[in-house]
Amino acid sequence: MVNLTIDGKSVSVPKDTTILEAARQVDIRIPTLCWLEKISPTGACRICAVEIEGVDRPMTACNTPVKEGINVTTQSEKLTRSRKQIMELILVNHPLDCPVCDAGGECDLQDVCYDLDVTHQEFKAEDVNPATINHWPLIQQVPNRCILCEKCVKVCHEIIGADALFVNDKGDRAFIDKKVEKCTYCGNCVAVCPTGTMISKPYKFKARPWALNKVPSICTYCPSQCQIDLNVKDNEVLRVTSDDEGTTNNGTLCVGGFFGYGYINNKRRLIEPTVEQKPVSWDKALERVVAEVERIKKESGSAAVAGFSSPRLTNEENYLFQKLFRAAIGSNNIDTEARFGAMRALQALDKGLGLHGASNRMEAIGNADAVLVFGADPSAEAPAVDWKIQDAVRRNGGQLVIANMRQIHLTQFADSQLSYKPGSEIALASGLGRLLLDRGHIDEDNLKRTVFNLDELKADLAVVDLEKVFEATGLSREALEQAADIIGKAENVAVIFGSDICKSAFGTSKAAAVANLAILSGALNNNCGLFPLDEKGNTQGVLNMGVYPENLPGFQPYTDSKEKFAKAWKCDLPDGGLDAEGILQEIEAGTVRFLYLAATNPQSFPNSSRWMKALKQVEVLVVQDIFPSEITRLATVVLPGSSYAEKSGSFTSLDHSVRSFNQAVRPVGKSREDWEIFAELYGRLNKTLVTFNKVDIFNEVSELTSLYAGADFLDDDRNTYLLNLPQVADQSLRYQLITAGNGADGLQLLTGTSVGHFGTTSTWAPAPLEVEPEGILKVNAEDAKVAGIADGDKLKLTSVTGSTIGKALISDSVPQGLIFAPYNFTVLGVQQLMPDGDNLTLVQMTKA
Amino acid sequence: MSQVAFSSWGRQVIDNRQGGDAEVEVAKKKLPVTFDGEKQISAFMGWDGLILKDPNVDVVAMAAEYAKRVQEDYCCAKCSPGKKGTRVMQDTLARIVSGKGEESDLDIIENIAELLQNCKCTLCMTSAIPIVDTVRHFRDDYLAYIHGKNKEKKAVDYKLKMTAPCQDKCPSHIDIPAYIEAIKERRFDESLSVIRESMPLPAVCGRVCPHPCETACRRANVDKPINIMVLKRTASDYERKHNHQPSMQPKPKKDKTVAIVGAGPAGLAAAYYLALEGYPCTIYEALPEGFGGGMIAVGIPAYRMPRHILQRDIDIICSMGVEIIYNTRVGTDISLMELKDKFDAVLLAPGAHKSKPMGVEGEDEGYHGFLAGGIEFLRDAYLGKPTGMGKKVCVVGGGNTAIDCVRVALREGAEESILLYRRTRNEMPADVWEIDGAEEEGVQFEFLVLPKKIIVNEKRQVTGVECLKMKLGEPDDSGRRRPQPIEGSEFIVECDTLIPAIGQDPDLSFITEETGIKITRWNTVVTKYIPLKNGADRDLSDSMGNPLSRILLTDMDGVFASGDAEIGPLTVVACVGNAHRAAKVIQRWLDEGEAYLTDEDFHEDILTSLGVYDKDEKVPWLDAVQRFEQHEIHGKERASAGNYNEVELGFTDSEAVLEAERCLRCYRVSMIAI
Repeated sequence: MVNLTIDGKSVSVPKDTTILEAARQVDIRIPTLCWLEKISPTGACRICAVEIEGVDRPMTACNTPVKEGINVTTQSEKLTRSRKQIMELILVNHPLDCPVCDAGGECDLQDVCYDLDVTHQEFKAEDVNPATINHWPLIQQVPNRCILCEKCVKVCHEIIGADALFVNDKGDRAFIDKKVEKCTYCGNCVAVCPTGTMISKPYKFKARPWALNKVPSICTYCPSQCQIDLNVKDNEVLRVTSDDEGTTNNGTLCVGGFFGYGYINNKRRLIEPTVEQKPVSWDKALERVVAEVERIKKESGSAAVAGFSSPRLTNEENYLFQKLFRAAIGSNNIDTEARFGAMRALQALDKGLGLHGASNRMEAIGNADAVLVFGADPSAEAPAVDWKIQDAVRRNGGQLVIANMRQIHLTQFADSQLSYKPGSEIALASGLGRLLLDRGHIDEDNLKRTVFNLDELKADLAVVDLEKVFEATGLSREALEQAADIIGKAENVAVIFGSDICKSAFGTSKAAAVANLAILSGALNNNCGLFPLDEKGNTQGVLNMGVYPENLPGFQPYTDSKEKFAKAWKCDLPDGGLDAEGILQEIEAGTVRFLYLAATNPQSFPNSSRWMKALKQVEVLVVQDIFPSEITRLATVVLPGSSYAEKSGSFTSLDHSVRSFNQAVRPVGKSREDWEIFAELYGRLNKTLVTFNKVDIFNEVSELTSLYAGADFLDDDRNTYLLNLPQVADQSLRYQLITAGNGADGLQLLTGTSVGHFGTTSTWAPAPLEVEPEGILKVNAEDAKVAGIADGDKLKLTSVTGSTIGKALISDSVPQGLIFAPYNFTVLGVQQLMPDGDNLTLVQMTKA
Repeated sequence: MSQVAFSSWGRQVIDNRQGGDAEVEVAKKKLPVTFDGEKQISAFMGWDGLILKDPNVDVVAMAAEYAKRVQEDYCCAKCSPGKKGTRVMQDTLARIVSGKGEESDLDIIENIAELLQNCKCTLCMTSAIPIVDTVRHFRDDYLAYIHGKNKEKKAVDYKLKMTAPCQDKCPSHIDIPAYIEAIKERRFDESLSVIRESMPLPAVCGRVCPHPCETACRRANVDKPINIMVLKRTASDYERKHNHQPSMQPKPKKDKTVAIVGAGPAGLAAAYYLALEGYPCTIYEALPEGFGGGMIAVGIPAYRMPRHILQRDIDIICSMGVEIIYNTRVGTDISLMELKDKFDAVLLAPGAHKSKPMGVEGEDEGYHGFLAGGIEFLRDAYLGKPTGMGKKVCVVGGGNTAIDCVRVALREGAEESILLYRRTRNEMPADVWEIDGAEEEGVQFEFLVLPKKIIVNEKRQVTGVECLKMKLGEPDDSGRRRPQPIEGSEFIVECDTLIPAIGQDPDLSFITEETGIKITRWNTVVTKYIPLKNGADRDLSDSMGNPLSRILLTDMDGVFASGDAEIGPLTVVACVGNAHRAAKVIQRWLDEGEAYLTDEDFHEDILTSLGVYDKDEKVPWLDAVQRFEQHEIHGKERASAGNYNEVELGFTDSEAVLEAERCLRCYRVSMIAI
């Protein structure tokens, strides 16, 4: 600890603390303008300058570390005068357009001028500010309002890692410029701008800040669930903000969080129920649904009814959905799109590690000495995880291993890049495991204690043929050894895997291989962890609530726990139950005649053309959604649901925190909160009047499951519950023997989510659509050459199951032999080309 | 009469305007009379004041121009007082010069100057110093402008240059504050781009540079200098470790070609800069493939400069459009005249690879165990050839090569490795950290000894060396105390191997008489220069004693010289700086048919002569963060037989950022009126 005196007060702080931070500890407020806690100090504004005894110049408090015994003065006549005069300098040629400036009322420059009593101007100079920059998408830059604090430059570079913004030109002409091609449109530059320099175009001139009602909420686009405030006026969400303090995301957002809200007010939202494509009252619509359920049940039994719920819906809605199906309809034919991804990770992790998702909180990633990102693009699947990884590897001295078929945003920070051949994940994982063992990186004692089948583990690793691994993965021994050393030498290892692994048809095996690596690398300790990613907002909630035939809520096996739930719900529960694949087959076979799609669209399922055919075939199709689509056009009944902003409920994040939010705006038109629809149907089917509310559901879940047992209630703005984290018990880990695996030869098409979009929902939001209006096919230059394709050409891809035409982007982010396509755009429709439940397929490419 | 009318340089005011002939030391000794051999320097304005030689210079107009150029061309805008304050300063001075000024404007100038003391760095802050000097000492001139009574003064031309003490001191003139600033901002790739603008061997000079820059670091006036060298290494390591591709793009290929003799630091650097400009370069290298790098490859041991890392720097240079033809010795395999015919320009950069004779009895007898020299020993060791070394090795010398020899001897399996030096440790020219490193590895030192005679047995095998003990006498020209033998103090140091390592010479035998190229008596190539004389009418020279403003053109048209063979054996960084200059001159010669220096070149040399660093300057700053030293492997094992693993390990990125944050960013602007 370092002892110093500030304005006569003694303070003792850790080494490397700045004078500014030390002063705050003793409640001494030093004025600042360019300082922002989450970035490195800049020292640009100079108004935090203080006097230090014995140092013959003012020192800036924000970036001067403390020193033992110093005597600091933060207020003196001289300091006051120079602070005031520096403010006057900053105000030279600052426009007096505060009345129409978006920052008016929430402008740090206004506040500091007011605090420092800057009331007149001694200086003048020619105005050499460059003109306002209007040509950037979504963001306007007004140079003459800029105080060049560089907060925007620093969040862009230090936190997002985009490095798009920079200071251009010299002297008073200098301004913040942008390498537009590097911008990810996360909007953090706008959020941190202390003045009205960086302006959100969609928000511009929409409201005065004091007229906005800030409703605490969470962003539901991805499972990071950043904590936000919906800024509402006249029943419209006008912008999204997030506080640096008291949020898990430190106020940082991505394009989805900052700009993606526009779909809420999209004019094309479904606003009234329809039956046979004709608008009807809710009563008529619900009556029809009930009538159809009853008719089909009567004719074919309840097993002829099936339904899909969604990770776009809340915990409560998912709980109600499965209860509606199981208790009121009597069908266990329920599933979600998690079947094509997260379910596989769940199966592998549950079997091997006893985990139902991540093993730790996200912030643990920031402390990792080594991070292994395996078959995931965190920047696209869960951006807040990307920021945590950057914390670890850019600020805290950790090292990064990226195992990915493609180059991703994080590749630039990787110490080791394992660009493996498509489909070779299992070989790669086993090779890394073997090398961890061979190179002495295994903590034998720990494994003895925790692993149930250590002998099996060793025997399995002993037969790994490294030469075959090198061949299968296309990686060199040196590359794998380097990666193994980075992982092996680290004390705390974070292992993160995602869509490339889980959405593969062999996802369960691949996830099991990663689970094995987590055991071998010691990632499952309390300081770090294993993190499966699934890009959908409430996938964890879906899994927790048991919206799949195998389990009831709380991961209780259906068959074993059926009686308990039947008793509690006062009903009989059916036997058996179909999963997504089963439902599809039975629709095709004509045995499933009624299908309920709640907030989900099979156009984004793999082999979507098969799904679409089935939807055309099914006798009764009920679609509950917020936007019109191919499937609403096929629906017998359409029930307009609502967005998260229009309802109350909770989501469960990828790291097991349950976050509530309240209705911020009323549902558009006649649309209803989704849980209300389920509740109403439940009541009508049971011929009783039922009311549900959040508290009832929470209590019911608590009674029937151990999900919420021992959870920490944070009593924050979002009533967050931190669910219990699993602890590794003795002999609790099981090394899994893996046999299945796919090789992939020839030109392969890989699908995944785009960095700029989230599911299909964001394609209804004008802002993300402005920067990425269509799905682009990324093709390697060599492959393009063979097919005679130039950048921007239209190309046609054909697989066994289908074909599509899209625009080509020639990019070295994909290796030769691999094409990447975002599945987010139903217009591009790449999911038609995928085999059942898969994300990778052989394709032919021709110029269209 | 004094040559100076007024000076406030060094904060010491000397005013001869009303007569008087007080001398201004710096003007007499260090500042040349002309800018480029012809144009007279009439005034100099900079961070430390004003030197007015010609009293007819319009000081007010000069101050206005200085303020304008600082604001418009140099101010980085990254702090409020600098960005805005210098603009107000510029406009206030412009107002006065345009006749619209008021007397109160002079107060504004002083007010702004005071506010500039709050700046983030010293660029704008120091720019206020000469301006305030003019306001205080030339007030009448200002008032004349303000009251519309100023008289037309002589028109002058201004030359400006931004520099920093470290950048000036660096023989390659790397923009050190800029690359450190980039590291501070965790922009490691950007940092490396800045470095490469003046240093194409960043991995090398991030490791083995004697870093003269650190002797001119203003942070040393607060506590200790910034670890400038290791920060350079950090930037270079970052690119390599993260597998990033360098960002340079050579210009389109031109049709004129350049041949370069020697793939050492000078040859590689010149080739790099010429290739970036689009000139295809072919380097002829005597050593085999895998040993590019000249003295770096065969003179600097791998434990200091790992070969694969050196090779990466070379590969990057080659990827810009440079071809290296190995195993080809100019003079033996191809003649200089052939090169001259085949290429449009030739650069001679053969280095200095021949050991100097020691002058000890028996050195010409061809005894077993008496090796040709340190540099030959190191070369053989790296080439994997038999070195002829035994088990007990004596190396004679006190420079870095001698230290490399004793440390390599251990790694080659010597049981004892002894260094013999005729003065004491304090006088050793070797870098102090190298001497410490040798000591840590178990090298024995015999100071104040002079080898006289090689002792051999009947098989003509060396068994020892007879030495005389020495004592230190009066200082010699170099300022070091001259060693003197103590009579009758002969004694024998037993050894089976004796290696002389007292210096090396270029081998210039390939420069035949027909070329007309002259060679100095120190065995370096003579090159042309523009004489710059000081106030005492003496030619100004650089720290090596070579003339300033060398054009690096030899006596043969189209043939240039660079590196150790031009400067005299020196350092990688000196060779690179020299070669960068050569590359620029060659380009001008190829483009315009004339080899000449630009204003920028002259200005650079003038600043080098003047000196930008002032070790006596009081630098107020809080010394809260101590200098970081890089990680290092310790213990004798690091020098065990066959262990050439790198000894120094650099910084982690975060340590580099902390060290970079210590930098005071001592930019300053020099303006010369001619």
